[in-house]
Amino acid sequence: MRRILAIFLLLGASLATARAATNTPEYGGTLRLVTTAASGSFDPQINYTLRYAEIYQAMYDGLVTFAKVGGPGSIEVVPDLATNLPKPTDHGTTYVFHLRHGIEFSNGAPVTVQAVVHSFRRLFKVNSPNAGTWYDVIVGGRRCLAHPGHCTLPGLIADPATNTVTFHLRHPDAEFLDQLAVPFGSILPADTPDRDMGTMPIPGTGAYMVKSYDPSNGIVMVRNPHFHQWSAIAQPKGFPNRILYRFGLSAEAQVTAVENGQYDWMYENAPADRLNQMATHYTKQIHITPVNWFFYAPMNVNIPPFNNKYARLAVNYAVNRESAVKLSGGNALATPSCQILPPQMPGYVPYCPFTRNPGADWSAPDWKRARHYMQKSGMIGQKVTVVTQIQSPYRQLGVYLQGVLNRLGFKASVKPISPDLQFTYIQNSNNNVQISITDWAQDYPAPSDFLNVLFSCKSFKKGSDNSINISGFCDPAIDAEMAHAELISLKHPRAGDAIWAHVDRQITRRAVVASLLSVNRLDFVSARLRHFRFSGEYFFLPQLAVIK
Amino acid sequence: MAGTVLRRLAHMIAVLFGISVLVFLIFFATPGANPAARIAGKDASPQTIARVEKQFGLNRPLPVQYALMMKKLFVTRNLTSFVNLGEKVVPQVFKAAPVTLSLVSGAAVIWIGFAILIGALAAAFRGGWIDRLLMVLSLIGISMPVFWVGTMANLITQGAYHHTWLFSWVPPLGYIPFSRSPLGWFKALVIPWITLAILYIGLYARVLRAALIETMQEDFIRTARAKGLSERQVLLRHALRCSLVSVVTLFGLDFGVLVGGGALLTEVVFGLQGVGYLTYQALETLDLPMIMATVIYASVFVVVSNAAVDIVYAAFDPRMRVRR
Amino acid sequence: MSQATELRIDDIAPPAPGYWATAMRKLRRDGAAMTALTTLIVIILLCAAAPLYARDIAHTNPFESNLSGTVLRHGKMVEVLGAAHNPLRLGVEPIGPSWKLGPYMLGADGQGRDVAARMLYGGRNSLLVSFAAAVICLVLAALTGILAGFFGGWTDRAISWLLDALWAFPVFLLAISLSVVLIAHGIDIGPIRLDASSLALPITIIGVIYVPYVARPVRGLVLGLRQSEYVLAAIGIGAPSWRILWFDILPNVISSLVVFAPLIVALDMLTEAALSFLSIGVQPPAASWGTIIHNGESLIYTRPIVAIAPGLAIVITVLALNILGDGLRDALDPRAKLRN
Repeated sequence: MRRILAIFLLLGASLATARAATNTPEYGGTLRLVTTAASGSFDPQINYTLRYAEIYQAMYDGLVTFAKVGGPGSIEVVPDLATNLPKPTDHGTTYVFHLRHGIEFSNGAPVTVQAVVHSFRRLFKVNSPNAGTWYDVIVGGRRCLAHPGHCTLPGLIADPATNTVTFHLRHPDAEFLDQLAVPFGSILPADTPDRDMGTMPIPGTGAYMVKSYDPSNGIVMVRNPHFHQWSAIAQPKGFPNRILYRFGLSAEAQVTAVENGQYDWMYENAPADRLNQMATHYTKQIHITPVNWFFYAPMNVNIPPFNNKYARLAVNYAVNRESAVKLSGGNALATPSCQILPPQMPGYVPYCPFTRNPGADWSAPDWKRARHYMQKSGMIGQKVTVVTQIQSPYRQLGVYLQGVLNRLGFKASVKPISPDLQFTYIQNSNNNVQISITDWAQDYPAPSDFLNVLFSCKSFKKGSDNSINISGFCDPAIDAEMAHAELISLKHPRAGDAIWAHVDRQITRRAVVASLLSVNRLDFVSARLRHFRFSGEYFFLPQLAVIK
Repeated sequence: MAGTVLRRLAHMIAVLFGISVLVFLIFFATPGANPAARIAGKDASPQTIARVEKQFGLNRPLPVQYALMMKKLFVTRNLTSFVNLGEKVVPQVFKAAPVTLSLVSGAAVIWIGFAILIGALAAAFRGGWIDRLLMVLSLIGISMPVFWVGTMANLITQGAYHHTWLFSWVPPLGYIPFSRSPLGWFKALVIPWITLAILYIGLYARVLRAALIETMQEDFIRTARAKGLSERQVLLRHALRCSLVSVVTLFGLDFGVLVGGGALLTEVVFGLQGVGYLTYQALETLDLPMIMATVIYASVFVVVSNAAVDIVYAAFDPRMRVRR
Repeated sequence: MSQATELRIDDIAPPAPGYWATAMRKLRRDGAAMTALTTLIVIILLCAAAPLYARDIAHTNPFESNLSGTVLRHGKMVEVLGAAHNPLRLGVEPIGPSWKLGPYMLGADGQGRDVAARMLYGGRNSLLVSFAAAVICLVLAALTGILAGFFGGWTDRAISWLLDALWAFPVFLLAISLSVVLIAHGIDIGPIRLDASSLALPITIIGVIYVPYVARPVRGLVLGLRQSEYVLAAIGIGAPSWRILWFDILPNVISSLVVFAPLIVALDMLTEAALSFLSIGVQPPAASWGTIIHNGESLIYTRPIVAIAPGLAIVITVLALNILGDGLRDALDPRAKLRN
């Protein structure tokens, strides 16, 4: 009797688990992503594109990471390969990380403190884009930049006995943890060669690994056999068994393919022409999320006519942000903006002085004031060229801006050039670009990534193709305030944010750029994709999507 | 004969050399084209850029850079892209070649077939309304911009009428390899084929008609007529065969140009990742190694098809040897 | 736009007296050619009247974005660019055609500009670019062809090499590479300063790339003339080179150039459209039929007319040019065979 009951119980239990399995079919399946083309080297310490960052986060881990969840929690830094989120000591210059035990790379090699040291030296040896702007804060980083061949990075000390690594910084850095959390901070195997691995994928610790990578065809990602979930928030196991990323379809063709269910998600922005049809017939497959990304027109403050503050003010009062929004797909996809910080950024306080009723939000252009300032500037009749990119919406924004400048009394022309050329062309002060159309998206959610990077004196490099302070703006007082904000943020993030908001208002008021709009990201997914999760840092998280 | 071929070969190499130097100079004359800053990434420090320049040899004198690039392209064949770092350009070109070849050969079959049909019909009914109609249609075919025809074809087959029975079979834009699905390959290419062929149908039909009419006045045709063959038989059996020679040389040149990447517009409009598309992309991203590889690839086809046509002429016509 | 579209001249003889008058008489009797000519003249006049149309009928500036404007339609004020009608309010739709003479007869483009007015302005640029490029092409081709054919030897070899390189350099690649460089910078050669946004750039590029097409047959013609009996005779009696070039060679060359001209203009128009379609031809805010098609391509689902209309304009114009070319060939030089 008892035995029979036991058998029944067993049966029941197995039935129950079977039912549970059919009720939760989340795990498994193949997720198919699509984009137009490959995006440069596949080395995570070198590649600087969102396209790859979106998938690196499922393949690589840093000591810390941004939480892989949807919604506001996604901009929090959490421990990943480290067990803790250290509080800096020695006045903010020392960070001690304890490494987790028992984690292996996808090639079976263990994650060791040596691997951590090797990875950070490697950043300098392979000329990682931000080696000289972020990671040189580590003691010895400057020497590594100058002599990468002999890079020892004395500021990074590994202790195999206690399984800890200690970073010593040259000065306190409020964003150091953010910079460790982005894909550049990925920990790679200790025997990874010290050169750009190009098209050869490097083993990582994430839930997925690359099975094949072909820049003209695509990426096949499968589960990493050496992976076990140590923290669901730092590196979740992920639902699909395989993730395919196919290259080679135009944005137009991508829309059609996702509509027809041939792919589950497209990387590119949907062509403006298709939006209405998509929104009408595939309403439930559209996800729109505001992101930290803005479009603006930098004005060169070092050459005429925009070395004159009144001329810059005139442009700012005259630009119709609503028109710019229309050119970017309408109110669902863009929000008018007058200031530098986008709405999702910590420290954002809505602010718009350049509108008919100055206050928090932009309402309408103020041509009366614009004309008044234009008169005052004495720049009427001056020649101005707007340098923009050939593709949408840059070209349209450029042509629109040209119209505005002409109405103000400038003799304006517009010069649309290839996107790959334009971004470096407008930065180099030797090209004497007066005004241009460009955009900036965050590296990580910190106000300094907009304000400090785009407007500090050291971001302006005369005659260099890499001078991201395109306006050439430099004010030591504002630099000092930003340094102060950094320092305060380290201990009191809230107080820091308030200072950043003040800096935002200061720079906005100087009118060194004409801020146009901030972007809302549209993700178009297939009908079978469930559990869409969007991170403020990595955007769409493919591993959290469920395929039915 | 051997002398002609050798001289032609030397000339070809000189032309290719000129083209490659031109591409190289154009590239380095472009402000902002220096790839170091783009390779290094946004907001890289000057030291990083300097190191990248050194690593890619961009700080060396131009003639040295040119020689190195040619060596990597032809001798070691490991020239890599400036944009997709680590990607070898030569295999990329050879990977794109089948797409272009599929597009161009299919179109060629269509255009030759239709051109012969239309040319022969027009010549047979010379002066009549059929002739006039066909010639006007041919002229219209020649007068339409190919990218516009392609855009219109997309509008009809991908947009407005895609959901009707007529065009629901049309797959989304892009190429489907023959090895993956022969039927899919055919479906994906049939509209691009027709689009590309239209211009050449018009062109060849006109050439063929003119040649046929001229041939019909030759002596041997009169003989054939005298033998009592019907006019239609004369046209098809004798005149057509003779007139096709003029089309064949024209075909050689056109085919060479198109296979080399001349079908760029069709490839761009239909999203076919062929050699033309590759070139277009490389030019958009200013990827010098890729531009160099595709331009040389295209030039080789043009130069070789030109030379082949010339040599064939020379073989047949001894006067040409003296002139050239 | 076949590269092999070869222009060829067969027999060689100096034009007889009264040659041009006879030719004109023949042309006037050619119904198709006269229709084509009339069509061309009408198109040119329409395009010339573009400013009048924009001012008095469309009431807009076709070069300025009109993103926030409104227009009267069916007795109501309607936004030129309104939000699309869907649950998410996603996307923006330009106003459609009214099909009535007046504002936005053919609707608006993505920037709220009047398509009909832009068509007329665009036509001006398309015509200007293709005619000017054809002139450059014919002059350069005559120059190089005559030099190479007449003087032979090293001159011929050098010119032939140059022409071959230009011929083998894929047309679009040459145009694209030149445009990329020049658009970014403009040309600055000594006293000549070409601004990037000026039409001079597409004109120069298109003018140059087709030189080999014409120069080769001209060279062949001159080569033949050079060995013809009457030129040999002229050389024999000691006539100076310039005299032979001016009186014996040039008239022949000119008559074949006249036959080529409409065909080259047609070819140039198609090329201009193609370059503008790849956004490397005429630069915004100026328009050409090619750039309007390019803009229209991104509106093909919502407002297909923006791409259809300029395409039709190109087809009609090029067709007229081709028919006129046929007529000129028949009239001027019954023995010259022209394959295009």
